Amino acid sequence: MTGPGPASTPTRWSQRLVTLLAFATPVVFILVPLAIFLGYSFFSVDHGEINYTLTLANYARFLSDPIFLPVFWNTCVLCLSVAVICVLLAYPAAYFLTTLKGRWRYMLLMLLMVPLLMSYVIKIYAIRSILGLNGFLNKALVGLGILQEPSSLFVFNMNAILLTLSLLLIPFAILPIFLTLERIPPILRQASDDLGASAAQTFLRVTLPLSLPGVASAASFVFVLAIGDFLTPQMVGGVSGFTFGRVLYSQFGTAYNWPFGAALSVALAAVVVTAILLGERFGRNRGASL
Amino acid sequence: MIARPSTIFLAAVTALVAVLLYSPLFVPIVSSFFTVAHGEVLWSSPTIAAYVSLAGNREILAALRATLVVGACTVLLSVCSGTLLALYYHGRRSGRGALQFIIFLPFLMPPIISGLALLIFFREVGLERSLLTVVIGHTVFVLAIVYRTVLTRLQSLSRSLVEASYDLGATSWQTFWRVLLPNLSSAMAGGAILAFALSFDETMITILVTGTQSTLPVRLWAMMRLGFSPDINALVALILIFTVLLCVLAARVLIPKQAATAAH
Amino acid sequence: MTENSDLLTLRSVSKSYGAVPVLHDVNLEIRDGEFLTVLGPSGSGKTTVLRLIGGLEPLSSGEIRLDGQNISRMPINRRPFNTVFQDYALFPHLTVAGNVGYGLSVRHVPRKEIARRVAEALELVQLASFAKRYPAQLSGGQRQRVALARALICRPRLILLDEPLAALDLELRRQMQEFLKSIQREIKTTFLFVTHDQEEAIGMSDRICVMQAGRIRQLGTPHELYYKPNCEFVARFFGENNLVPGKLGEVHGELRSIDTALGRLICSIAGQPHLKNAPDGAGAFAMFRPEALHVADVPEGKNHFSGRVVDIAFAGSSTVAIIAAGDGRTTRLRMRLASRFSGSALTASETVALSFAPREAHLVLS
Repeated sequence: MTGPGPASTPTRWSQRLVTLLAFATPVVFILVPLAIFLGYSFFSVDHGEINYTLTLANYARFLSDPIFLPVFWNTCVLCLSVAVICVLLAYPAAYFLTTLKGRWRYMLLMLLMVPLLMSYVIKIYAIRSILGLNGFLNKALVGLGILQEPSSLFVFNMNAILLTLSLLLIPFAILPIFLTLERIPPILRQASDDLGASAAQTFLRVTLPLSLPGVASAASFVFVLAIGDFLTPQMVGGVSGFTFGRVLYSQFGTAYNWPFGAALSVALAAVVVTAILLGERFGRNRGASL
Repeated sequence: MIARPSTIFLAAVTALVAVLLYSPLFVPIVSSFFTVAHGEVLWSSPTIAAYVSLAGNREILAALRATLVVGACTVLLSVCSGTLLALYYHGRRSGRGALQFIIFLPFLMPPIISGLALLIFFREVGLERSLLTVVIGHTVFVLAIVYRTVLTRLQSLSRSLVEASYDLGATSWQTFWRVLLPNLSSAMAGGAILAFALSFDETMITILVTGTQSTLPVRLWAMMRLGFSPDINALVALILIFTVLLCVLAARVLIPKQAATAAH
Repeated sequence: MTENSDLLTLRSVSKSYGAVPVLHDVNLEIRDGEFLTVLGPSGSGKTTVLRLIGGLEPLSSGEIRLDGQNISRMPINRRPFNTVFQDYALFPHLTVAGNVGYGLSVRHVPRKEIARRVAEALELVQLASFAKRYPAQLSGGQRQRVALARALICRPRLILLDEPLAALDLELRRQMQEFLKSIQREIKTTFLFVTHDQEEAIGMSDRICVMQAGRIRQLGTPHELYYKPNCEFVARFFGENNLVPGKLGEVHGELRSIDTALGRLICSIAGQPHLKNAPDGAGAFAMFRPEALHVADVPEGKNHFSGRVVDIAFAGSSTVAIIAAGDGRTTRLRMRLASRFSGSALTASETVALSFAPREAHLVLS
């Protein structure tokens, strides 16, 4: 119906309708809400009512208030750490997968991806119960004699958020790294061996550099997912684990300042776009079509 | 051939990752078969009480029903509009890039941004928050996936297929119904399964745009914040079984045919 | 230029993948400084020979000796050989200079020396101005030369080339053949070249080793293989030979007769004692090239018979006539004629008398 078909007159009006729908749907339900949202960041709140006069006060407040900028910065650092942890764990696992043959490789990959299908909320909850004072982690550490008594180091603070997010997001790091590693032709490693390189040299000089694009997209993936999450910090962060997502969320709940929340969202979106662009920039190989 | 210690190291890290990924799944499942008292699992007393009390938990069952209804509506809406958009934008140059970018925005942006944008939008147009707004939110979120799945299949279809149909005297509608749709059906089914899975688990957008009635993840979220309940463990076990089944189904529908077309 | 000392020896080398044997009892001596081509159709095991020598795969049995020392178990990165891979296997993330210098750099050669030798090698392959480019920015022929420079920079004892010209188009392939040959003369390094293209093999090699089904069929100079194939496979593999089956007859010095459908033919057996010693009545083929066949003015001492022209195929510089000859005209022969502007000397369905000289004909045991 969209092909180069003979456009007979009776179908013309229906084609116009289709065109209208095709353009209107994304614009109305995606672009317009985002535009309104952006517009909101220039409004303000007066006694619980939204004041529609344009102002930059929200941005000024974000940049000048002693709370928001540090929280924003700390959250970025936190999410960057999550990305680093995920990549460090995912890389060896992805590399191991590529050393496996045929069916085993994809079976194990599936196995590592299945946890993604499990309810996000339930995983957060389960991880909290593992990290908690009576949780498995503390029991194991006490049992092994590493700790004298259960520690509250692992729950209701920044550490807890870091650990939980890392656990949740590892699969998102495995996949891109695995895919780039798999795409490296084995003949390149053979060529390196043939030229006299040791196994370590071949890894450091051929495999690792060729897989860096995958690492970049893995890191940007994880970072974006981590920074947008407000459920995990809410659940495991306690009072001290205050992240940007939580601050943002609270503007629409308890704080009830939608315009300010919208301005915070713009800052969040800016970071996310930067991360995506960086991932995209380094995720592309230097003209390395083989 | 390659040094053994390195292989052992890699295998060990992989095992660690697997344990890290699976422990959050197994802990609640195993716990669901034992009595829980004061936040402690009593390993000495196995029970299926959790499952019994789950069956009587009206709140959870209502939330489950709402989730399924939302999922079904989301699938219907997203598959129809996603396929329509894919058909429309396929082979069209002008404006395609920009509109494709718009479609992918809710998928790329953090859900909190999409959710808040919709929340404000609904308020501005005067739409009460309800399951309807949830369905719209979910559809906007999963549209990109369905669109992408169908478009990929469309691009793999030979152009001459459509041309042959016209050549044989079929009209546009006949070509659509008899040639394109049968060839797209498995991609649409795959997209539908993905859309359902995403909708089933969507939490962050839902929390923001839902009204009094809420879906299962949001209900669970509310329950968990209040404290530990054995029902949840039982529900976790059931959901896991359900998602694994869904996953197997998706693999069956998606993998063989895509592998066949991917091997061009 | 061929020295007689052996560089590398393969002794009873066999290789199987699981239960599938791909090489049977291969024995081969590679001489120092020669250009040796391993030639065979796909699946003949020629690439496997190269991979075993290069150390890319382990042997199943037998041994490989370098200067008399067994190197069968030496790991790939310690062998003094380098490979030019079929699709070059250039590292996409390194520049041309990075690729060429790789072998030196992993051996911790000082930077200055690497730079000097890279420049030298690039000069040799005429790519001096391309040092800073990436492989993706090069043409097929240029990549080919980078791969060659990368392989020869470590001054290996032996350079292995795995069908390196297969991906190039015809004209470029001809240029690269000459180029490879001239480089080999210049650096005086032994080349082991694998190909399935017999013309390429004849044009470049000092010696050719013909393989089929995991065995070596014949090893010799291009001239020997072309004119004196020792078996039907080699005879058929080298171009458009006419092979006429028959039974061996008596020996007259350097000639021997064979009874065929074309009658009794006299063929040369010079320098082929196994043909002299073969019993009377043994099955064999009379073999002669299309260009050896002439329209007869019936001189004495020539093999002659009559045939009917079935078809005439114009092929540019020459024209090939298909002749049906022998009893019942069942034997098909190819005959090469010079192409002329005015058309072929023969016309289809014409009956002609044909002949060829005994020294232009050889015997191949069946």
